[in-house]
Amino acid sequence: MSKPVFMLALTGLLVASLAPVQAGSARTSILEKLQKEAGTAFSAERGKILFSSTHKGGKPKTNSCTVCHTKSPLKTGKTRAGKDIAPMALSKTKDRYSDPKKVAKWFRRNCRSVLGRECTALEKGDFITFMSNL
Amino acid sequence: MDNLLHNLEKSPVKDVRTVLVWDLFVRLFHWSLVILVLITGITGFLGEEWWLDYHVWAGYGIGGLILARLIWGLVGSPYARFSSFIFSRAETLRFFKELLRGRPSHYTGHNPAGALMVFALVFVLISITISGLIVLGGQENQGVLAGVVPYFVGEVFEEIHEVLSFLLLALIGGHIIGVFVESRLSGDNLVRSMVTGTKESASPDEFKHSKLKSAFVFLTVLAVIVGSGGWVYVALAELPPNGLIKMTVNKTYATECGDCHFAYHPSLLPANSWHKLMTGLEEHFGEDASLDKDVSKGLSDWLQKYASEKWDTEAANNLRQLDLKNLISITATPYWKKRHSEIAKAVFARKSIGSKGNCIACHKDARSGRFDDQQISIPLNQKEKEI
Repeated sequence: MSKPVFMLALTGLLVASLAPVQAGSARTSILEKLQKEAGTAFSAERGKILFSSTHKGGKPKTNSCTVCHTKSPLKTGKTRAGKDIAPMALSKTKDRYSDPKKVAKWFRRNCRSVLGRECTALEKGDFITFMSNL
Repeated sequence: MDNLLHNLEKSPVKDVRTVLVWDLFVRLFHWSLVILVLITGITGFLGEEWWLDYHVWAGYGIGGLILARLIWGLVGSPYARFSSFIFSRAETLRFFKELLRGRPSHYTGHNPAGALMVFALVFVLISITISGLIVLGGQENQGVLAGVVPYFVGEVFEEIHEVLSFLLLALIGGHIIGVFVESRLSGDNLVRSMVTGTKESASPDEFKHSKLKSAFVFLTVLAVIVGSGGWVYVALAELPPNGLIKMTVNKTYATECGDCHFAYHPSLLPANSWHKLMTGLEEHFGEDASLDKDVSKGLSDWLQKYASEKWDTEAANNLRQLDLKNLISITATPYWKKRHSEIAKAVFARKSIGSKGNCIACHKDARSGRFDDQQISIPLNQKEKEI
């Protein structure tokens, strides 16, 4: 192996090994922001209830997260249009909750669909905490 | 010489013997044609959409056989030549009168009724083949005419192709009845003759005929036609399909819309529908699918730029007629409903399909907007695939 190729490979390896760390720090900063806004400590238990319960006020065909994500966040879900959704649990889908734009977009849409309103910072934090501890 | 021959044949029977009437080419031609017409008939009248390839290839085969037969009709063995069974109107009328009385004159080759049937069959088969090519090019954007035939022309010719096919069915029925009637009246077993090539004949002389010369002239003419036709074919086949425009790739569309559902080809809805759909994302088929304003504006512009008005494909042309109660739903359009009416609800509910809106589960080429018949493959339940 020539020297430049070796260096390139080494750099690649380094970047690859750092990627989860970067996702992790991005996630931490998202959670910290939500924490500041919420003011209360997040609870995985509350997140679980939010995920599993059936809600009123949202759109009739999507009255629970479980309609698309299935009852277990560890399983692959399916959109109503038939597309697979990677599992919600962080242990199954490593890059979840690390892109602030995506997190904002999906909470906005899906909370409106399921609850009929946007979620509070506390709800979002509970949800991510629940998904991170599975 | 031919007239002389007929006169000799019709002379009172004295010395009956076996002669070769249908040469090997004619017999191979006849039974190959039977097989290919059966294939096109079964695939055309009864087949599923995705059998189209078999229909088309059998059709090409029929075209080739007819071309070869036309050449052989000019240069082949005596009874195969058209000149040996072109009869005057008077002779034809006389033959039919005799037939009505149940005592038709005996002909070693085709009699006037059989001759008429041969010409009718050849004419109808040529017309079916050509109209089929036009349908294939216009409607399906496939085949040698894909680049030159507009969709609506293909649609018109589909009707013609169909009418001609029923006419062919009638002719085939008439042909078979004719064969049995003649076999009965003449005592010849005409079906066996088309296998063995021989008939009992009173003809005192066989023709002087050089098989080698016939074969040589035949092959030369065939080579010239196929060679020169080949250039036209290649030139036509190189034209891009008519009505499919070039479109820029939109990665935002693939993720923003494609994350939840199959990223529908822009040609599947008119520009007005795309506009309406993109301004109502908060209420998007029962879900909130809202997007940032700049993102949705960019997507909306792109969708409207490549909307169905710009395309001349089968899908774009037919889906343009909307359900007036639901202007943004592809699966609500009358055409979509009609074409999927035979598919049970349970099929759409299969895990491998998921919903009516998941085109790509069954239409493997849905991304291109083509929706070719041959690209349809309905997945079974147990097969789980990443879509």
